[in-house]
Amino acid sequence: MAPQGAQGAQGPLDSPCSRAFFLQAAPGQRFCIYHPSAAALRGAVLYIHPFAEEMHCARRMAALQSRALAAAGFAVLQVDLLGCGDSSGDFADALWEHWLADVQAAACWLLHQAEHESGFAPPCLWLWGLRAGCLLARQAAERLGRPCQLLFWQPCLSGRAVLQQWVRLQGAADLLGNGAAAGGNTPLQRLQAGQEVELAGYMLTPALAQGLQAAQLQAPDAGSPVRQVVWFELSLQQPPALSALPPPWQSTPCKLQRQALPGPAFWQLMDAPANLGLLQASTAALCAGAT
Amino acid sequence: MGRFCAAPGRWKGPVTLLPDVLPVLDQVMGLCGRSAHFDAHTPLLGAVPELDSMAVVALVSALEERFALDFADDDLHAGTFATVGSLCAMLERQQA
Repeated sequence: MAPQGAQGAQGPLDSPCSRAFFLQAAPGQRFCIYHPSAAALRGAVLYIHPFAEEMHCARRMAALQSRALAAAGFAVLQVDLLGCGDSSGDFADALWEHWLADVQAAACWLLHQAEHESGFAPPCLWLWGLRAGCLLARQAAERLGRPCQLLFWQPCLSGRAVLQQWVRLQGAADLLGNGAAAGGNTPLQRLQAGQEVELAGYMLTPALAQGLQAAQLQAPDAGSPVRQVVWFELSLQQPPALSALPPPWQSTPCKLQRQALPGPAFWQLMDAPANLGLLQASTAALCAGAT
Repeated sequence: MGRFCAAPGRWKGPVTLLPDVLPVLDQVMGLCGRSAHFDAHTPLLGAVPELDSMAVVALVSALEERFALDFADDDLHAGTFATVGSLCAMLERQQA
């Protein structure tokens, strides 16, 4: 039996209070899961997922973190971007610009909803990205027209690296005999020649590849609306080690907190165990940042 | 950027990196300690069900991080992942 108050699709990861709905967008609609704050409202958090298989592998951690943040007093929205998950369209329909617009629309809905429920505007807005979702969060932050904070989980530093990862995934599928036999030009060469390329089961258009390749995780400058960045990485080294901080980030005027935690790359593993350390550290960091 | 390509290659030499590589294999593929029974001759690709395409990419990323290397995709062919030993051999070549 579905929990009382449940609306729409309910899965085992939904808390009794979370609700799934479709947000009207252009084009089509976006599948969202909203987790209302279960305590005095500290702020709003918008989750921006990674792409392709990483999105699916990370579902459990995203749901667990969303529920933990809601319990701690944050209104949390998870949105499937155009052509991803249960939202309208196919991956081949999406442009980087569509995804940026989706983030803006979702943030707008979230802020209004949280204000409507609590009677006051959320004191802060966090954009929480995982992997390539961090690239989107960083770019979208400049377009929201309001101060915001960023929570990064294992951020990709450039869209070019994301694309390379997809090419590798296709290569790995080929190794296992799952991929289409590909002769001649490499996927990147075919994209540059204006052809669509299927990578690891996702049809990538030259237009999306172009937007993706231009994306950089830029350090906030003095005029940026980004007030704070909390940046977590997972590492298999003992003790856990952070990757090198790109030079522009070393001189950013915004408050930057980075930490490496132990654990495997759950976004690349089906059935990965939940990383409780990351969940707890993220909740603690957002609660500290909201005071 | 090159694609992964099929190429033969089984490592038959000494495998000094084995103690460093096995924990990475175990954690990345979620083997829950099964890697304790692995040796250089243990087959990987096609033999360990956890080693799907995502796990191959995860393994490559984890090894790059663990050994501070940056693999060219030409290094990542079927022969590399044939056995534990062939994987260690590729790492040893990269480190040389």
